[in-house]
Amino acid sequence: MKRQRILFIKENYVLRIFKNFMMAGLFAIALLLILVHKIDLGLISGVSKGVLFITAPLIRTAGLPAEGLSYAYKKASEITNVYQENERLRKENNELFLLKDQMRAVQAENAILKKLLHHFDTPNAQTYTARVIAETGSAVANSLILYIGKNEGKITPGNAVVSSKGLIGRIDLISGKYARVTLITDINSKIPAVVKKSRDRGILIGTNTQELKLIFTPLLAELHKGDILVTSGIGGGLPPDIPVAVIKKATTDTITAVPLYSPKELEIVKIIAYDITPDEQTAEELE
Amino acid sequence: MKRLFKNILQESAALLVPLASIMLLVLILSIPRTGGYWNFLRQAPFYAGIYFWQSQRPDAFNIFSAFILGIFADVLGGAPLGINIMSFLILYIIAVRITAQFNIKRFSYSWLLFSGATILTFIFKTLIVSAFYRRFIPLNLIILESALIIAAYPLFARIYIWIERRLIHLEVRYEKIEP
Repeated sequence: MKRQRILFIKENYVLRIFKNFMMAGLFAIALLLILVHKIDLGLISGVSKGVLFITAPLIRTAGLPAEGLSYAYKKASEITNVYQENERLRKENNELFLLKDQMRAVQAENAILKKLLHHFDTPNAQTYTARVIAETGSAVANSLILYIGKNEGKITPGNAVVSSKGLIGRIDLISGKYARVTLITDINSKIPAVVKKSRDRGILIGTNTQELKLIFTPLLAELHKGDILVTSGIGGGLPPDIPVAVIKKATTDTITAVPLYSPKELEIVKIIAYDITPDEQTAEELE
Repeated sequence: MKRLFKNILQESAALLVPLASIMLLVLILSIPRTGGYWNFLRQAPFYAGIYFWQSQRPDAFNIFSAFILGIFADVLGGAPLGINIMSFLILYIIAVRITAQFNIKRFSYSWLLFSGATILTFIFKTLIVSAFYRRFIPLNLIILESALIIAAYPLFARIYIWIERRLIHLEVRYEKIEP
C-alpha cells in the first residue's frame, strides 16, 4: 500500500542554511540573556515572574495528593501516641510556666537598662508563615517556591526566610501568590554574618553544597569549631541576631560552616518582612 | 481543506506532546520530598527528554522546543537566565549529530551515546556557570548530578516511549492515499 509522509519536511539547501542561522541566533539570544542577567535589568525579573505565575499553581496541584497522604499518616501516628504526647506536654508546660516568670523579670530589667543607655531599637518586623510547595534546586542553583505572595502582605525581594532552626534564605522573586526563595547554600547567596561569641564580622557565602564559606573576616578574628554565626544586620536588609550556621572548620586559609537547618525540615517557613535600608532620597543625602 | 486543517492540528499536537511531557515530569519532580538526592534528579527529564525526542521523533521536537525548555528550567530552578538554554541547545546539537552519524537500533547503544552527550553538555555547563560566577562550582555535585541523570535515562525513556505510543500514533506520521 502506498503511503505519503505528511509531517516530515523535505530538507533543501535553503532550509538548511536558514536552520543554521536560526541555531546561531538562538545561541546569541541565550548569550544575551546571560549578559542581561549579569547586568541585572528588570526585564529578567518580569519574565521570571510570568513563568513562576504559571508553574507554581501546577506544582501545587500536583503535590496535593502527596500532601493529603502525608497529613493522614501524621494524624494516624499522632492518635497512636496521644497518651505519651499528653504526658510530655504536661511536663513541658510546667517548665514553661517557670521560664515565663523568669523571662518577664529579664524583660523588665532589659527595658530599664535600655532606657538608661538611651538604646534605639530597630523597628519591629512583620512576620508571615508560608508553606513550601516546590523544591526547584539542582547542582547549579538552590531554591524553593513558597505559597505566599504580594497579595498576602508587605513581602518584598530580599526579606529573610527562617525555619525553626534559623535563617534558610532570602526572597528572590515574588508574584501575586507565590514567592521564590534563594537558599543560603546557593552560590548567589551572600549573608552579612557575625560570630555570636566574639562578634567578629564576615560574609557568609553559599557554594551550592551543604557547606558555606565565611570570607572577609578580620585578621585576628577568634573563630573556633562549633561557634554559631548569626546575621549582623549590617546593610539593613536582614534583622540582626538570626542564627545562620555553625562553624565546621576554621583554619588560617578557609573558614567553613554548615547551615543550622536541615533540608528535610523545610515544610513550613516564616518570612520576616524587615527592611530598614534608606530610601533613595535619604541615601543621596547620606552620600 | 478539511484534511489540511486536520493535518495542521495533528502537527501542532505532535509538537506539543514532547514539550508538555518533559514539563509535566519536571513539575512532578519539583514536589517537595524529604530525600536529599531529589535535587540532582530534577533536571533528568530535561536531558533525557531532549535526547530522546530529538533522536526518536525529530519531527515533533525542534531547536525551539529545546530553547523553550531552557527558559522553563532557568526560571523554575532560579539559575541565571540563559545557562540552561545554552546547555539544552548544546545537548540538542549533540543529539542531532549523533542521530546523523549512528544508526542506533539497540537501546544500550542509545544509552551509551546519551551518557557521552550528557557528559559533554555538563562540561560545557560547568564552564559557563563558573565563568558567570567567576569561581569554579563544586565538581563533585556536577559529577553526581550527571551520573544520576545518566542512570535514570532508561526510566525516563520508558515513560517517553509510552507517551509517544499513546499520544503520537504512527497514523499521524503516515496516512493512506486514496486510490
